[in-house]
Amino acid sequence: MSNILNIGKSALNAAQIGIATTGHNIANASTPGYTRQVIVQSASQAQNFGYGFVGQGTDITAINRVYNDTLAKQLLNTTSTSSASSAYYTSINEINSLLSDSNAGLSPVMTKFFSAVSAAAANPTDVATRQTVLSSANSLINRFSAVNERLNDIRKSINTQVEASVNTINSYATQISQLNLVIDKAMSTTGNPPNDLMDQRDLLMSKLSEQVKTTVVKQSNGNYDVFIGNGMPLVVGDDTYPIYAQASSTAPDRIEIAYGDRSAPKIIDSATLAGGTLGGILTFRNETLDTVQNQIGQLAVTLATQFNDMQQNGYDLNGTAGVALFNVPQPVATSSANNVDKTKQASASFVPGQSQQITSSDYTLKYTGGQYNIIRNSDKTVTSTATLPITVDGIEFNVNTSTPAEGDEYMIRPTQGAAGKITLAFDDVEKLALAERVDANGNVIAFKGAGDNGNGLRLAKLQDTANVRMLGSNGNRSYAQAFALMVSAVGTKTNEMMVTSKADASALEGATTAMQAESGVNIDEEAANLLRYQQAYQAAGKMMQIASQLFDVLLQLGQ
Amino acid sequence: MRISTNTIYQNGTSRLMDLQNDLSKLNEQISSGKRVRSPADDPVAAARILELTNAQNMNSIYTSTRNVAKTSLETYETNMTSITNVILDAQSSLVSAGNGSYNDQQRANIASELQGRLDSLIGLVNTKDAQGNYMYSGHQTGTVPFVLNTVTGDIDFQGDTEKRALQVDVQRQMPVTYSGTELFQANGNDLFGTLQDIISLLKTPITDATTQANFSNGLADTMTKVQGVLDQVLNVRADLGSKLNELDTLDVTGSDMELQYTASISKLQDLDYTEALSDLAKRSTILEAAQKSYVQTSQLSLFQFI
Repeated sequence: MSNILNIGKSALNAAQIGIATTGHNIANASTPGYTRQVIVQSASQAQNFGYGFVGQGTDITAINRVYNDTLAKQLLNTTSTSSASSAYYTSINEINSLLSDSNAGLSPVMTKFFSAVSAAAANPTDVATRQTVLSSANSLINRFSAVNERLNDIRKSINTQVEASVNTINSYATQISQLNLVIDKAMSTTGNPPNDLMDQRDLLMSKLSEQVKTTVVKQSNGNYDVFIGNGMPLVVGDDTYPIYAQASSTAPDRIEIAYGDRSAPKIIDSATLAGGTLGGILTFRNETLDTVQNQIGQLAVTLATQFNDMQQNGYDLNGTAGVALFNVPQPVATSSANNVDKTKQASASFVPGQSQQITSSDYTLKYTGGQYNIIRNSDKTVTSTATLPITVDGIEFNVNTSTPAEGDEYMIRPTQGAAGKITLAFDDVEKLALAERVDANGNVIAFKGAGDNGNGLRLAKLQDTANVRMLGSNGNRSYAQAFALMVSAVGTKTNEMMVTSKADASALEGATTAMQAESGVNIDEEAANLLRYQQAYQAAGKMMQIASQLFDVLLQLGQ
Repeated sequence: MRISTNTIYQNGTSRLMDLQNDLSKLNEQISSGKRVRSPADDPVAAARILELTNAQNMNSIYTSTRNVAKTSLETYETNMTSITNVILDAQSSLVSAGNGSYNDQQRANIASELQGRLDSLIGLVNTKDAQGNYMYSGHQTGTVPFVLNTVTGDIDFQGDTEKRALQVDVQRQMPVTYSGTELFQANGNDLFGTLQDIISLLKTPITDATTQANFSNGLADTMTKVQGVLDQVLNVRADLGSKLNELDTLDVTGSDMELQYTASISKLQDLDYTEALSDLAKRSTILEAAQKSYVQTSQLSLFQFI
């Protein structure tokens, strides 16, 4: 008799646990990272009574979460891919709108400037027309400077984002390592999986994957070891190996990622850190921001230098040889912070008359094996020499005093930021050199008079001369064409990133749906389970009631 | 297939958001009238628009330069019309000076008449244009071109023979100034010197056969030279006419191109309203349907029946 009551008790108990688990599922239906839990129920060991095995009721052997490793891995991958492309798209879209803004675009100011030059060439003695040239030159350099400033803002915001991302990654890494410890303890002491803690750890993994692409290696004890980049461990068991946000060795205003020894972490190649928001913005900076800012600098430097050169081919209104209109900044050279010999410095300067050679690339000057190697960073073209100075792409490279130490390197940025540093060299309208000083054969001739507009015509002609070098394309382009090409390249990339980020987002949605299909809570299903366990509970109760009535029958026998 | 309640809500909202995005983009296009709002909308078209706009601007630069050229040439034309008239007047004075019945006094009268003509000629050739530049002094625009040399008594040219050219079209630089010395003092036909000579001859009384011969020869010589200068001036006026014609032709081409550029830019950039508005209607309907179905499906729950 007590046997029957026990069976009833086990059934009641199982139904209660079933209702509790269902309730837990309903309660957490919208909890981020929650995976539904199910009870594992089995028949209790039966008892042999000689005539056969009599069942002894039911046991709850475990409460498991419904979790599929493959789907989870897929979700992590699509998460970091989608975060990367969406971060890239958001950033490049800023440049895209900057270039399309008619108030900020460079096309109108270049046109206005050259219209003014053409008008001055038509009326060389008219002071008011000359004044228009100077004021439109002023708005030209202001616009270049404003665009450059906007790009610098984007650059600064990327630094902030990188720092924030690094902090987030390290914080998630610490939390994952702590959960590793707690989960390991719970498993080894109870032998049962702590489902909700495991959900929390997987949620952290998913958040970490939003920041950077990760690889998870599940250990036999259930610990997660997490790697980023080229197999750099971030979490191993309950240890973490943090990454650091650190200024670049050659450009102090550029925050890079460093890793390794806590006292002296080394900067890692940002190209290896793909995926996630961090990977997305780093790729954007390398691929688009640097290129665009360099190209705008190249356009500004080329235009200003060529106008200056032409000014010097003319006489001004008073018959004095023309002087430069624009002050053009020289290339910026920085020594690597890792250089052995810190006393040496590199220098670089634009070679007069070679402005058509200037590219939009940055250069690395590296001293190895007795050779100075000038590396054009955009396409890795190397020019080697045993002695300096040497002229490459219209730039003279040099290193002060004697030989640097083996392996020392210097970064030369000819055009980055140059668009923001151009100023006007004079404000005297008479100094515009509209009269011819150098004739068609290159000979210096005498001043012909104030009415001479020979050089003015050449200054105006600069606007449709192919003067800007485009790497990777044969033939130079005019200023307007060079700008149009740049706009088109940014537009194409923005468009590509828009499509990619949409595709990645729908891949993420697909992976989420697949994961949710397996692990997510369905309220209707839980409602059905609730009914099932409710009925089971009622049935078990009824059974116990019958057992009690049977007992009453026995007791009545004695009366 | 099993589907989680979260997915039902998430899919529903993300579809609605996509549709709203599309609608908002369409709205932007419709309110701005532009199909290409940023380079990303159509990178190829965006670059092409920039190039076309630049070409259009260059075209309008040439148009305004042509206007400067026209003003300059027309100023010369007006000035040379007056010069032609004065030379014609001088010629008729010279013809009457040849009248053998005139006495010394009458010739002296003609001399002073011619002196007046010479003075107005010098006034005309020393005219400044609208910018305050001397028209006939070449590049020496601030220098009076013809000045009486007080020592020699000659009228000296102080300018040069340079001509200012203007970029009136991509490939065409058109000279739009004329040098005084080439017009009035070329090929031995010095208009001013010749007139000065004949004036002094007219003032010289005819007393004998020698002075008579001198006068006749001098007059004949003057007639030839003045005619030479007149021919020169008329040639230049013909040149002016053909240049003005050329500018008109270039203007026609320029305004054709302007129309073409505007049309091409509009084709690349402007929105097709019919298409956009029908698209808007279609998408609004879809969004409305999606909203209705979302509300209805999200209301379905087994709990309503328990």
